Amino acid sequence: MMRLVHLIVAAALVAAAVDVYKIKFESTVQAERVAKLAAEIRRERDAIAALRAEWAQLDNPARVQALAQRHLALKMLDPAQIEQLDRLPERPFIPTAPPTDAIANIIDALEPEPPTGSAGGAVPTTAGATR
Amino acid sequence: MKRRRDTAPVWWHHWMMQSLLYGRGVDRARKAQARLGLALLGFALVYAIIAFRLVLYAAMADTHMVRRSGSTDAVATARPDIVDRNGEILATDFKTPSLFAEPRRIIDPDEATELLAGVLPDLDSREVRDRLGSKRGFAWLKRDITPAQQQEVHRLGIPGIGFLTENKRVYPNGNEFSHIIGHVNIDNQGIAGIEKWIDNRGLADLHRAGFGVDREHEPVRLGVDLRVQHALHDELVAARDKFKADAAAGIVLDVRTGEIVSMVSVPDYNPNNPREALEPSRINRLTTGVYEMGSTFKALTIAMALDSGKVTLNSSFDARGSLRYGHFNISDYHAQNRVLTVPEIFTYSSNIGAAKIALSQGVENHRTFLSKVGQLDRLRTELPESAEPIVPKHWGELNTVTISYGHGLSVAPLQSVMGVAAIVNGGYLIPPTFLRRSPAEARAIAKRVVKSETSAAMRYLMRLNAEKGTATKADVKGFYVGGKTGTAEKVINGRYSKNRLMTDFMAVLPADEPRFLVLIMLDEPKPIAETHGFATSGWNAAPVAAKVITRIAPLLGLEPRFDLPTADHLILAAAKEARWSPPPP
Repeated sequence: MMRLVHLIVAAALVAAAVDVYKIKFESTVQAERVAKLAAEIRRERDAIAALRAEWAQLDNPARVQALAQRHLALKMLDPAQIEQLDRLPERPFIPTAPPTDAIANIIDALEPEPPTGSAGGAVPTTAGATR
Repeated sequence: MKRRRDTAPVWWHHWMMQSLLYGRGVDRARKAQARLGLALLGFALVYAIIAFRLVLYAAMADTHMVRRSGSTDAVATARPDIVDRNGEILATDFKTPSLFAEPRRIIDPDEATELLAGVLPDLDSREVRDRLGSKRGFAWLKRDITPAQQQEVHRLGIPGIGFLTENKRVYPNGNEFSHIIGHVNIDNQGIAGIEKWIDNRGLADLHRAGFGVDREHEPVRLGVDLRVQHALHDELVAARDKFKADAAAGIVLDVRTGEIVSMVSVPDYNPNNPREALEPSRINRLTTGVYEMGSTFKALTIAMALDSGKVTLNSSFDARGSLRYGHFNISDYHAQNRVLTVPEIFTYSSNIGAAKIALSQGVENHRTFLSKVGQLDRLRTELPESAEPIVPKHWGELNTVTISYGHGLSVAPLQSVMGVAAIVNGGYLIPPTFLRRSPAEARAIAKRVVKSETSAAMRYLMRLNAEKGTATKADVKGFYVGGKTGTAEKVINGRYSKNRLMTDFMAVLPADEPRFLVLIMLDEPKPIAETHGFATSGWNAAPVAAKVITRIAPLLGLEPRFDLPTADHLILAAAKEARWSPPPP
């Protein structure tokens, strides 16, 4: 009887030890992962900071102004050019020619004359639609 | 033996030692058992200690690792970013490797020096040799090297040479913010401007305690605007060139909140290369310099007189001839030689008129008023640098006469901006700040210094001056600018010089409901062909102000309004009708 109890206790002890070891091992793995991710986050943050600093340098108004003056024909804004949208007059109505379908014209030009007199040759309905 | 054990338990220990382990008369088997038990106890104790330490390591491993990695990194401490009012970066940290040596572990200093000199040619080899030859534990060789250089040095494989990652401060906008932000030293500690203010606010203590090596700080948000600052800087550099002035400076102040939207003083320096800051010509003239502001002070003089109620806009003063005071002879630049009304005194910028107005108020009142609008005490802002105004020790009538038109009292230009802002914004004196401030916060600390009617009358005078006075060149169509010119003769060898001038211009925009005050200041502008040989404020500072306003007003969200009535109708009539309900400060 006692021997059985001893055996069970010993088995339970071994099982508990194995379990604890497994948990410990897993926690170590997780801790390493956390450390790695933390390091990665730090690296990424530093990279973001570096990029932001570079962006600020490239975006600097003095630099943009120098580039604009060299390459663009823009002029300084005049206060008279600023107006509120609702104070703008209505856009004047300019009558235009009825819209023509440019693609249809091209297709018309390409298409040969509809076949005439051929037996059973029906004119395709699509060609008629585009005309 | 047994009897002894029963009767005297104190002897238990003695009994065990003597009889169980060594006693002769004891049974051998019992003795062996006891010895075995003792050995078991000892081993169990050792294993328990080992197990306990293991648990401790398992639980604390992370903190140990973190602490170690933290200490090898970032000797130069991290600082919070500085951003402008729209969140644009003005200063940020950048991680760079730095090269150090442990001289005690260097085997051959000469060889190491030679190898390093091959990779880093700008290294002073004698100094490096000295440092490597010393018996110290640690020595910097070069701070802030490039990653490519780091790779090359690493490849040399010299023992006792290593790298540390450090935070380096960078200022992407170069010169433009130098006087506001200041700069840091090689260890990333603020030594000027807002950077120093950040340190004084407790960052330095935090670092001393060993915290704050990583970027964990909230950015510091200033009230300045990057775009406005650039426009002002650009125009001032151009103006300094054009008029061949010694220096040029400018401020844009939000009169409702006291926020400094922009502040430039050229010549300035590049905070990325702070050695330039040591040159005395590059000081910030707006806070660390004091100047006689010239005729812009007449705005304060007239505001004082109007506020007393004894003088109205219709009062008139005799400005004929010139005013004699002892051996001083005060004359007008735009002499009219007749009796002038208060608006005429302002628009012709009559010294005699201003002096007579001040005298009519009395010396004591004049002094009290200037003290009330903050012109006699040192103005402190977030910037650690500030200058004390130079106030006459014995303030007599002659002092009141000269100070009434801005001579004989030297103030920091920022201070005079604060004073003029108070008399145009409805009468509230608000200490200027470089940080953000809401109108509600400003209202809480504002101090009323003049009546709102006085303020309306002053706005009228400022606008009138731009319509038909000395400030017509600053009248930008659409923004209803009001302004006052000021020209002060500089004191050279103890005498006022006629041709070395300091000109300034205060512009308020828009004059009917002020939002911003713009100060432009030029130190010794030279007359040029375009100004027909004049070098007074109306010919240089005022047109520069016009250019600045044209550029910054759209950025500040001011909408151009055209075809507005003249000052008589818009400001004066409105003030008379409605007793002027002032805009909130």
